[in-house]
Amino acid sequence: MQVLETKNTTWQIGGKMLSSRLLIGSALYPSPATMEDAIKISGAQIVTVSLRRQSAGQGARNPFWDIIKSLSIEVLPNTAGSHSAKEAITTARMAREVFGTNWIKLEVIGDQYNLQPDPFETVKAAEVLINEGFEVFPYTTDDLVVAKRLADVGCKILMPWGSMIGSGKGLMNPDNLTAIRKQFPELKLIIDAGIGKPSHATQAMELGYDGVLLNSAIALAQDPVRMADAFKRAVEAGRLGYEAGVMQKREFASPSTPTVGTPFWHQFA
Amino acid sequence: MHIGIAGAGLVGRVLTLNLLRLGHHITLFDEDRAYGDKAAGMTAAGMLAVFAELESAESSIFEQGNRSITLWPELLGQIGIPEAYQQKGSIITAHPQDYGELEHFIATLQSKVKEASQIQLLDKTGIMALEPDLAQHSKAFFIPQEGYVDAQLFMKTSSTYLLSHPDVAWHQSSIVDTVQEGSICHNGQTDTFDWVFDARGLGAQTQVENLRGVRGEVFWLDAPEVKISRPTRMLHPRYKIYIVPRPHNRYIIGATEIESEDKSPMSVRSSLELLSAVYSMHSGFAEARIAKMVTNCRPAMRDNLPLIEQSEKLTRINGLYRHGYLLAPAVVEEALAKGFLEAHPPRWIDSTLEEVGA
Repeated sequence: MQVLETKNTTWQIGGKMLSSRLLIGSALYPSPATMEDAIKISGAQIVTVSLRRQSAGQGARNPFWDIIKSLSIEVLPNTAGSHSAKEAITTARMAREVFGTNWIKLEVIGDQYNLQPDPFETVKAAEVLINEGFEVFPYTTDDLVVAKRLADVGCKILMPWGSMIGSGKGLMNPDNLTAIRKQFPELKLIIDAGIGKPSHATQAMELGYDGVLLNSAIALAQDPVRMADAFKRAVEAGRLGYEAGVMQKREFASPSTPTVGTPFWHQFA
Repeated sequence: MHIGIAGAGLVGRVLTLNLLRLGHHITLFDEDRAYGDKAAGMTAAGMLAVFAELESAESSIFEQGNRSITLWPELLGQIGIPEAYQQKGSIITAHPQDYGELEHFIATLQSKVKEASQIQLLDKTGIMALEPDLAQHSKAFFIPQEGYVDAQLFMKTSSTYLLSHPDVAWHQSSIVDTVQEGSICHNGQTDTFDWVFDARGLGAQTQVENLRGVRGEVFWLDAPEVKISRPTRMLHPRYKIYIVPRPHNRYIIGATEIESEDKSPMSVRSSLELLSAVYSMHSGFAEARIAKMVTNCRPAMRDNLPLIEQSEKLTRINGLYRHGYLLAPAVVEEALAKGFLEAHPPRWIDSTLEEVGA
């Protein structure tokens, strides 16, 4: 049997060549063992890890971080829990020490309850961090102008949300996401947050996004390991679909009276 | 039989109480003083949350939890504090904007155990009937089977009981270096026993692979204006907060869960989260007094499930994680049955036979 290969089996992000386009989070799993199994089966080659919440007491041993490091995939530390550019910058510097990487998922929260990103502080922090040599993965909304500002300060990667973090609502505004894709063909675009089920991930990939980042949808599934497998396939399917070229939609008039059973030549009479 | 137990925390004590009933002599070793507070079992709220813990745990917890609930009354009776066991059910609620969390909670439980159908949905009237102080909430779940053990009373009373027991020798403030088959090496000296148990929790890290500590922080609040008689949880998208009652309007508020072995004092962030959550549950907590802020680490294995490891003359029990009181009696029972009791069947069988023979 002929095995179809995607046109572009590897892709590049932040200076690394990868084959998986699924980025996975490390929070909220029932146990580290389940997390390990889920991450392995997902095939993800980038795992995000929250620094701020776990960082109390710098001297203490942190076996959880050791587990993350032992996965031997790229670690993308995040600044989750930061509410200002200043806090995010401090966390990013700390992350560079702890994980020995210049990658940082920049997440500055503007609303405590919704965890909606603060675009103003995010742009501010991105500029400082890029000047310090960080590869910034900024978490942002689907606002095109914010995306432009982030690109202006030098971001090579943008991570607009599908919908609010942990909401599982999927892509709330595909038109905005498409607009960002069209505007920035040269940037790496990752959908971050809001993905609830595999079909959402497929949809994101069909829009031509380079990858999908998710956590809750896998970690909070009743069987996280199976769900990780499902997302692996969903992301692959979406990418393959995008590369194969989706057929054009046809603007058929939708009949106002039922036409079921009408021979087709009569419809144009 | 002369039995050595390394670790006089919750597991060490439950083991000792079981073995005393079988007529054995016990030597206990612990790095802490008998009335000290280093053990995770001293920090615990002692919830017997067979169902609620399932939300983020494996289904095996359910059977072991149910077994423990049947074993606790006997253990507490043995040391004379039957009142330390309470089984009046528990309440799970959320703020109106987070009712989605309640749906997720119940759906997860139902997918794991069929008994979850026994959980009752309460409306305002139902809540009013059980816990009038929580009547500001209009939706909650009631889990009749759940309860709690007054963990601090258990630890204190078991110290007194075991210290005065003729068949127990307790080496306090004693550093155990290694626990091997039939021997315990402490403070550079090796003692041999007919059987040894390693129940040191995080203290066993050099001998138990993949054992890690998970930081937890709790408040003890004295709140005369609050009358809540059942363990109560509030579900929230990011925190899971519980309130567990103690006598005289004292409440244990917990607990954070942070992947770190840091035992330093509570952070401002955690205290803000815990206290604002508890205040939003009941405004009577505003004038509560903070009796204590406690930080400790739970011993956990990679799968967050208990570890029982048997070899010749040695049993290691560890990794009870956040389920110490929920699991200890059942895990100890299982560990004894598989190892020690197989090698040394209970004496009463012999005496029964003798009686029959006589």
